[in-house]
Amino acid sequence: MSTFFRKNLLPLATLIVIIIFFLAAAQGMNSQDFVITLLRGLSVGAVTFLVASGFSLIFGLLDVLNLAHGTLFMIGAYIGWTVFVRPDTFVDLLTPLALALSGFTLRDVYPLLSDRIRLSLSMKRILPWALILVSALLFILVLPRYPIAGWNLDNYAQSPVTYSYMADQGTRLPPPTVAFDQISPALAIGGLLLVSLLGSFGLSLFDQSARRSPQLTWRSYASFVILLFIGLITFIFNDALTNFLLGLNANWLFFIAVIVATLSGAGLGALMEMTLIRPLYSRPIYQLMLTIGLSAIGVQIVQAVWGRPEFIMPKPTLFNGSGASCPATNFSSWWQGNCSTILLLGGRVRVYNEILIPIIGVLVLIAVWILLQRTRLGMIIRAGVQDREMVEALGINVRRAFTIVFALGVGLATLGGALAAPSMGLSNAMGESLLLDALIALAIGGLTSYPGAALGSLLVGLIQQFMIQYGQIGISIPFTSLVLKPTPPIVPASTVLLMVIILLILPNGLLGKKE
Amino acid sequence: MQKKSSSFFRNHRASFILLVAVVLLPFIVGLFEGASPAAVWANQGGISKFAEGLGIEIFILALYALSYDLIFGVTGLLSFGHAMFFAVGAYLTGIALKTFALPLSAVIGLVFLASIVQALLFGLVLPRVKGITFALVTLGMASVFHIIIMSSELGSYTGADVGLQGVIVPSFINPANERLRFYFVALVVLVLIYLLYQRFVNSPTGRVCVAIRENEGRAKMLGYNTFAFKLAALMLSSFTAASAGILHALYQPIVSPNVADLSFTVTALLIVLIGGVGTLSGALIGAAIYRLLDFGLRRYIGENASFITGAIYVAFVLFIPYGIVGTWRAKSFRIAEGWRRLLAAFKT
Repeated sequence: MSTFFRKNLLPLATLIVIIIFFLAAAQGMNSQDFVITLLRGLSVGAVTFLVASGFSLIFGLLDVLNLAHGTLFMIGAYIGWTVFVRPDTFVDLLTPLALALSGFTLRDVYPLLSDRIRLSLSMKRILPWALILVSALLFILVLPRYPIAGWNLDNYAQSPVTYSYMADQGTRLPPPTVAFDQISPALAIGGLLLVSLLGSFGLSLFDQSARRSPQLTWRSYASFVILLFIGLITFIFNDALTNFLLGLNANWLFFIAVIVATLSGAGLGALMEMTLIRPLYSRPIYQLMLTIGLSAIGVQIVQAVWGRPEFIMPKPTLFNGSGASCPATNFSSWWQGNCSTILLLGGRVRVYNEILIPIIGVLVLIAVWILLQRTRLGMIIRAGVQDREMVEALGINVRRAFTIVFALGVGLATLGGALAAPSMGLSNAMGESLLLDALIALAIGGLTSYPGAALGSLLVGLIQQFMIQYGQIGISIPFTSLVLKPTPPIVPASTVLLMVIILLILPNGLLGKKE
Repeated sequence: MQKKSSSFFRNHRASFILLVAVVLLPFIVGLFEGASPAAVWANQGGISKFAEGLGIEIFILALYALSYDLIFGVTGLLSFGHAMFFAVGAYLTGIALKTFALPLSAVIGLVFLASIVQALLFGLVLPRVKGITFALVTLGMASVFHIIIMSSELGSYTGADVGLQGVIVPSFINPANERLRFYFVALVVLVLIYLLYQRFVNSPTGRVCVAIRENEGRAKMLGYNTFAFKLAALMLSSFTAASAGILHALYQPIVSPNVADLSFTVTALLIVLIGGVGTLSGALIGAAIYRLLDFGLRRYIGENASFITGAIYVAFVLFIPYGIVGTWRAKSFRIAEGWRRLLAAFKT
């Protein structure tokens, strides 16, 4: 124990100084404000943690600074909103998505096919491009004719803002009916399948390293058949599924929305790593440009699909009640009334924002911690963070771990986005500011340290919220009668200043290991 | 002597043709509209004045990207706070001219001092933090500066979040009336600093900077005081970015606080990546491409332009792997070979 203290003297001393400052400054606050601010800080910290931990895992193992992480967080929020408020759109999208992805699961089959093709060298160079071009053209031709119930950004009555508002009021607007536009359903589905097959075959021709001769078993086709099956089933039972989701309790629907956002984030992450990040491991600097570019594209896609105006995702009914018994005074009365607020030490605390989100944050923290510490995959990841080449030399397939970690990191970000949507609201700029917060949190805690990400996020959240609170009541400086009121710009500056100070004392952050 | 100079011209033929083209550009653009060179010389309005304005913006951006290329591409320091160097120059010039009515020469001296001071400020943290941590610390410093100029307490000097406006520009290079002169001044500054940078990179000092980028430990082991070299590169870079800031403050009617933002540093990073990391000429080409792309897309596509810009960045990374100049250098032999074969095919 004493050696532990001696070894970590500097981080511990820094932490203690921060805590002393924190307590000294908090003395002028009454307990009601203190509890609320503390919980708000925890909430912001939890959301920041979800983004920061994924970022840190990716940076630690892959050495990729994923500057698109904030944008992915935002995309998660918008996906969650879509599933929650417009389940019909979500169900309509399932079929094209499953069909479009099905081709990519035939990875092992394509090398056999391409070996059969005998072409001149120049034709072989042109072939993948031609395939991708044909696939893209087909896609542009088919998709607009495929019926996807959406919203209309130009018409306010059918815009996401209105749908969101109506859902918050408890009434759902009836989904618009859509039909195939000058195309027969069979042709549309066949076309989408062809798009996927041609496109993925074309892409596989680029990947020369995949030219091993795989043993073709039923496994090579299984996922393709499953995806095809899912696509067809969701197509046939489209209406039934939509009605089922629309009739579902809003709490379950919210749960489904969060799960879907997480999974689609993970899928997006895996796709990103396999197609775009993988060719760049030899040129790490250009990953910055790639992720900046992707981030710009993501923001634009969100603007084009969901529009520029900000809107709020309604809370699940479990946290949205405002009956006679509200605000609740204890757990059982909250359970009966489903109150949106609860009285804690005399202060009104919003249950969703300030109690649920921190709890989920802690749960995710524990789950990922168990994954990292107790499973074989976690062992590979931890070893890879320390010394990637050594792990590779031991014959472990680190590349597969790369894909999984990227998927996990992005999935955590989109989970954070979907969870934060009801409390933060959806806007095109929500990703950027959070990415900056996450970066600061990681710098404070230690860039590649998982507990460091948690500690840093906690500090960032708490300091931000307390600074906002002090902006209203002022800081009473100990032993003097001075009262300092921080103006709004101080709020971001305070975390940044803390980061600079900590990095100057401890260049690796509070919990980071020395290189 | 004669022979030497002629070979110098031959070696840099492309650069000289480009320079002459840039010098003649306002007049040529004027001819398209039917304006005589004399009218262009007299600063009459029209398309050539507009082209001059675009050219000036490109020169300023090129100067700024050049300074980033020196510390990032040549010395290998990843800084996320570079916009501060630029913004200090711009804001100091604006405030000194507007509030204190100093003469321009005094302003330049002041900015020179300030740029040394901020390079020293970055140098203060240089020995302690490395790699991505250095990037984050510089980001922190630049954010603090950004917050300071945005704060309402200093609004009477900096204009807070609206930006600094109403800078009284000395009449002899006022961009409204004497834009052609401003164009040539910016061009001369750019060319001089570019030559200085070429000289710096090819000097023993610059070579040590490249060695630091490649392997700092080895450079240290060879007995070089790497800190001093990094500081020298930082100072030169800081001064260049601040001079770009001076030009910016003189040229733009409003100096917006966005020039101290992280996104403006990212602009420099993108320009350098487009042009080719560590190739000084890449920064110039990258700046021209970046500005023209931005201008063209915004004009012809409108609000959704950044989708295309993002797609172009991704395509750049995938298909032009080392930036324009970097890829050209790596493949110039093969490209030349291809041309020769093409010409031969036409001859027969």
